[in-house]
Amino acid sequence: MTRTAPTAPAPGEVLPPPREPGAARRSPLSRVRDAIFRYGLLILLAALVVVFAVTQPAFFTTFNLLSILLSVAVVAIVALGVTVSMSVDGFDLSVGSTVSITVMLTAASLVYWGLGPVLAVLIGLVTGTVIGLINGLLIVVARVPDMLATLGTMFVFAGGSLLITAGQSIASGSGYQGAAPKGSFTDAFTWLGQGDVLGVPVPVIVLVVVTVAVILFLVRTRSGRLLRAVGGNREAARLAGARVGRLRVLAYVISGFLAGLGGVLLAARTGRGDVNVGADYLLQAVSAALIGFAVLGANRPNAFGTVVGAIFVGVVLNGLTMLNAPYYAQDFVQGLLLVGALVVSFSALFNRKAAR
Amino acid sequence: MTEDRTVVLAARGVGKRFGETTALAGVSLEVRAGEVLGLVGANGAGKSTLTKILSGTEAPTSGHVEVRGRRVRLASAEQAREAGIETVHQDVDAALVPDASVAENLVLPLLVAGRLGRFPSRRRIRAEAARIAADRLPGVDLDAAVEDLGVSDRQRVLIARGLATAPSVLVLDEPTAALSVDEQRALHATVRELAAQGTAVVFITHHLGETVAVCDRVVALRDGAVAGEFAAPLDAKRLAHAILGGLEATAQRSEVATGGEVVLDVAGAQALPGGPAIELVVRRGEVLGITGLLGSGKTELLEQLAGVRPVLAGTISIDGVPFRPAHPVDAIAAGVGFVPEDRARAAELPGWSVADSLTLPDLARYRRGPLLSRRAEDRATADLIRALGVVCSGPRAAIESLSGGNRQKVVVGRWFAAGSRLLILDEPFRGVDIGARADIARLVRGAEAAATVVASSDPEEILEVADRVLVMADGGIVGEVDPRTVDAETLADLMTRAARPQETA
Repeated sequence: MTRTAPTAPAPGEVLPPPREPGAARRSPLSRVRDAIFRYGLLILLAALVVVFAVTQPAFFTTFNLLSILLSVAVVAIVALGVTVSMSVDGFDLSVGSTVSITVMLTAASLVYWGLGPVLAVLIGLVTGTVIGLINGLLIVVARVPDMLATLGTMFVFAGGSLLITAGQSIASGSGYQGAAPKGSFTDAFTWLGQGDVLGVPVPVIVLVVVTVAVILFLVRTRSGRLLRAVGGNREAARLAGARVGRLRVLAYVISGFLAGLGGVLLAARTGRGDVNVGADYLLQAVSAALIGFAVLGANRPNAFGTVVGAIFVGVVLNGLTMLNAPYYAQDFVQGLLLVGALVVSFSALFNRKAAR
Repeated sequence: MTEDRTVVLAARGVGKRFGETTALAGVSLEVRAGEVLGLVGANGAGKSTLTKILSGTEAPTSGHVEVRGRRVRLASAEQAREAGIETVHQDVDAALVPDASVAENLVLPLLVAGRLGRFPSRRRIRAEAARIAADRLPGVDLDAAVEDLGVSDRQRVLIARGLATAPSVLVLDEPTAALSVDEQRALHATVRELAAQGTAVVFITHHLGETVAVCDRVVALRDGAVAGEFAAPLDAKRLAHAILGGLEATAQRSEVATGGEVVLDVAGAQALPGGPAIELVVRRGEVLGITGLLGSGKTELLEQLAGVRPVLAGTISIDGVPFRPAHPVDAIAAGVGFVPEDRARAAELPGWSVADSLTLPDLARYRRGPLLSRRAEDRATADLIRALGVVCSGPRAAIESLSGGNRQKVVVGRWFAAGSRLLILDEPFRGVDIGARADIARLVRGAEAAATVVASSDPEEILEVADRVLVMADGGIVGEVDPRTVDAETLADLMTRAARPQETA
């Protein structure tokens, strides 16, 4: 269909970032747009930190900054799982319910069944992993579309978390339906959510470890690379030798495991098993992952962006709280942030690829 | 005989560039009322681009289009339709709603234009559809779902719909590509009849025999320019010359490799279910070409060898080891590298770098401990980029920043990176500029360590690259030619005759 122009293109003419064929030479305006597309979110984050630090001296303290990280740790960990499922071009709507049911099962293991902290943590992690496996099999083997399959399991496991306790919340000292408790939230367990190492909260340490692990997995391992290939072009990945089905199941298993880990940390932080506590985590984790699309102009799921997205939301909410904004405005603000980030990612205004 | 007729549609110096590639370099042509103008050319000659410009789906980068002597800007298919130009594209399914009825599909443009009112009744739709169908759709049930119709009937539905607006120009893009011989004849008759009623028809095809049967005049395109214009009576041989150019060999031919050991041995395989048995042998260092028209089964055969679709019958061995791949993974493990026909759909990963695209099939090679080594990848791919002659800013350049030809080099080159022993290339030159085509041909010819199977429906390409050429038709091998003694015309002739033995009857 095409042939080369008479002169061969000089290597300098095909330098990245890729230019839309036939597009005009880059004007100052388009440079600004490019900058917004790539660095907009990071610049905005820095600007917010400066503004909050100037107006509220208490904002820019080690204590407050760590408490922001602590407040976003669980969301960010769950969001990293969402990022992995999005990386195979999938979607996991069940992560919130997975958080809920792991919280309840972990709490029940400690209080109802008195199994001790180690088993409780294991049960929580296994629960998340098994849910991920169920999602993956529904999607890959039963061929249910990802959104629908995980919508279904979202319902099932949200309901399942109520069955465990007959709809009651679990606290230390409350046994199953009035029976005597066999155990309690031990200090060793709550340390996972409330303790610190050299002043750094344990969930923040876990977040750092998980972030590094997920980034390394997605970018620097064979499985991670193939997994992203499946997300980029399933047929191309298959023809290049990727076992597409297995990789898709793996992605949901990782997503489920990380949601389970989030649930365990949440139970440890709150020191109770609250009914439906995970429901909020779906929207928050998905928005963090989607806001992450706008980080460094990735325009696709990426683990680094996801964590930045979660921190971004945390900073905004923390700063607004300090400025005495009402708590009930939080969802509204979070929604606005999400829409703004999506516009930066997808709108042809900023993203030349979207202009096609 | 058409000289006195009015020119209803004209292209004046129409050019189209996509970044660094020129698809059309200043094409001028005129279409007159009541004539059938054939538009012919090889793959990549610019037929589709010109069609898109005439039908308003692409804007020219230079020159302009005139309708009845007045310069127009066709910014959309709707504007082209208003100017009296109706186009039936090759992919008929893109223009039909599969689960809607024939009647609903027929009135679709009216519905969209709001000419049936906001809440059209079933009866109104049925009546309008019957009016549009008139006597053009005998044997087609207006209440049947379009998805239940055959290709030929779907195309008739589209043509009938196109004629509803009484266009002055009807553009038919490769209308016979998917039709049987009888269906083609029926279509030819329809086209002649339309012309007799005063409609101008632009008939795009790559079958030269067809233009002789149906066209008053033929414009041949080559490399984005008009290579010749011919009036009836048409001569297929002269057309072929115009389309294919001087037929000079562009790649250095090495001596035909015959001494190498057998790499691929196929016995009793079937390209299509129930088709004739296929036997073939490819030796190390040899390039086997397979050619044939659409539907000849060459893609189906290649995909079986690559584990993309299940092996239908027979036995295959690679280096003497029995081979029956159930998944591309099995084929890759056996040393088979496959380049699919459709690069964008089945080979490329949007947004990936050149390095990542090259290393994908054989990532284990770059593993240091549990992690992949970027440095190892960059080093290996930088060498490969040089060897392949990929024009890019480096291993980390985004694949989208490369021209089509260079992207194809990357897709072929990943199998060099993986050290494949058998390369299977399906239409590797499609959408590739001439320079890159020669480069790829050189690469393939220079792959001494591998045996290569190349399929192409373009006789010139296949003669350029292959040591031996097999001609396929209806799922079987119908002939073998030696590229040193056969020219593209003769091969094209062989392909068409093989595919349509009925025509001589």
